[in-house]
Amino acid sequence: MKIRNVLAATLFIEIAVVCLFFAYRYVNIQSTIALMLFNGLFITIIFQLNGSFAKKTCLLALGNVLGAFWNYLFFQLINSGEQHFGRVFMVFYALIFPFVNVAWVVPFWSLSISFLTPNTEPQGKL
Amino acid sequence: MIIALLQGFFGFCAIIITAYLVRHYIFTLTVLKKSKNRKTQTAPLNASCNPTVSILIPAHNEEHVIEKILQQMSQLTYPKDKLEVIMIDDASSDKTGQIADEYSKRYNFIKVLHRDKKIGGKGKPAALNAGLKMSKGDIFLIFDADYLPEIEIVEKLVSPFSNPQVGAVQGRPVVLNEPENILTRMIALERISGYRVDQEARNSLGLIPQFGGTVGGFRHSVLDEVGGFDPKMLTEDTDLTISIYGAGYKVSYVGEAECYEEAVNNWRAYWRQRHRWARGHMQVCFKHSFNILKSKKLNLKEKVDGLLLLHIYFVPILTLLSLLLGIPLIVLSPETPQILWFIVPVTLYSFVGNFAPFFEVGIGAYLDGRKRLQWLAPLMIFAFLYNMLICSKAFIDVLIGFLRGSQGDWAKTEHLGKGKSYISN
Repeated sequence: MKIRNVLAATLFIEIAVVCLFFAYRYVNIQSTIALMLFNGLFITIIFQLNGSFAKKTCLLALGNVLGAFWNYLFFQLINSGEQHFGRVFMVFYALIFPFVNVAWVVPFWSLSISFLTPNTEPQGKL
Repeated sequence: MIIALLQGFFGFCAIIITAYLVRHYIFTLTVLKKSKNRKTQTAPLNASCNPTVSILIPAHNEEHVIEKILQQMSQLTYPKDKLEVIMIDDASSDKTGQIADEYSKRYNFIKVLHRDKKIGGKGKPAALNAGLKMSKGDIFLIFDADYLPEIEIVEKLVSPFSNPQVGAVQGRPVVLNEPENILTRMIALERISGYRVDQEARNSLGLIPQFGGTVGGFRHSVLDEVGGFDPKMLTEDTDLTISIYGAGYKVSYVGEAECYEEAVNNWRAYWRQRHRWARGHMQVCFKHSFNILKSKKLNLKEKVDGLLLLHIYFVPILTLLSLLLGIPLIVLSPETPQILWFIVPVTLYSFVGNFAPFFEVGIGAYLDGRKRLQWLAPLMIFAFLYNMLICSKAFIDVLIGFLRGSQGDWAKTEHLGKGKSYISN
């Protein structure tokens, strides 16, 4: 592996770790666990696909930035909502929390895999 | 007390859903590992295995599609002296029977079994049993009328039968009318995850690959041993899969044996089809769960996989319940640790994508080289939410059916023959 790829990969991993710390410190534990699960799945599955290590770590870092930012925005929304509407708003939060995470995890996952999918067009056998 | 009960149920749901999540995670890793080792290598055909084969095609009012499959049958490369095709015209009121008769006159290995309205039209299992009585092959294969098999499919499907342990085989359906609309594209994604990953992994891990009711077949003697198709079952395929394992045989999945199908193209038809699948699966679950547990022919991992397979249509119901149970828990018990709120939602979103998590869908599409189809995976959340309702309704119908002593009617899927080309991008 070229030295510049190693340096790039190291930088991207650091970004991912910083995002985790950010989510733990400034958002909440749920978001941190969501990011950790995303990282676990990403590393064990997507890192096995075609593509350079630097490209995959770049995608991982981007995913963490997106996830941390997304959850931060949602957390701020929930805080505002709770102040205005009281505890009832937490019911809404609990119900939509998984879907809010779906909204960034699944599209990002799909996009990442499509970046790594080789350009071979399978043919039907009819 | 109520809070403790709710928390207990909440935890139970979380454990069950997590078990499925782990199962699919293992499937995904297994298939990835296998694809690395094999790359594009295909399974070798067993040239010495060429038994007599009967192909059964049950059809009820399929005039739009029947000609295509019969045309495809006429081009099969399997030796014609060892092949018979039996088209079962199951009380059709359209031109299905006439079209089949024309092909029967042209090709002597194609036969037609006409069932009139007095005895026919009672569902696929009954039609198949009638065809089975007429068939003479050692092996018989089943294709639905809207399916278009590749011409070498018979060789590929009979090959695993050289192993005497194999009682049934299953090939791979591929959606032919995929470009038609967003729903058919999403069904194509479902099929990819279900067969390219799920079935492939179960086959590789020595678990229970499922016979899917079409694009597959049985050893004739095995089917006689388990008593044929149960006409009371709405999903006779799942019923037979479990019966075959219970009799000490295996189902083998042959991913290279591709067959092209017409997927349902509107949400109403999707509801009818999936409702039948869910209801039938639940029937089989109630029929076989205890048998699986006490079976001496199944090993531990087959028992675990069999039970998970049979209960999979309960997962959307559990997920719905988990979400709903979160509401009283938040209101009644604000001191509950926050992590508890998290467990189920996380497993829930991991399950988005109708019985297969997003990562399994993604890897299936990746392995098939489907770059753009990947992008539709986020939309599968709508199919999943829809399936919560379908499965809940099916469960209620099963319970009502038990009380009333009725098993439910066979809901036929309408096929219009819209699939014209296999498009992959």
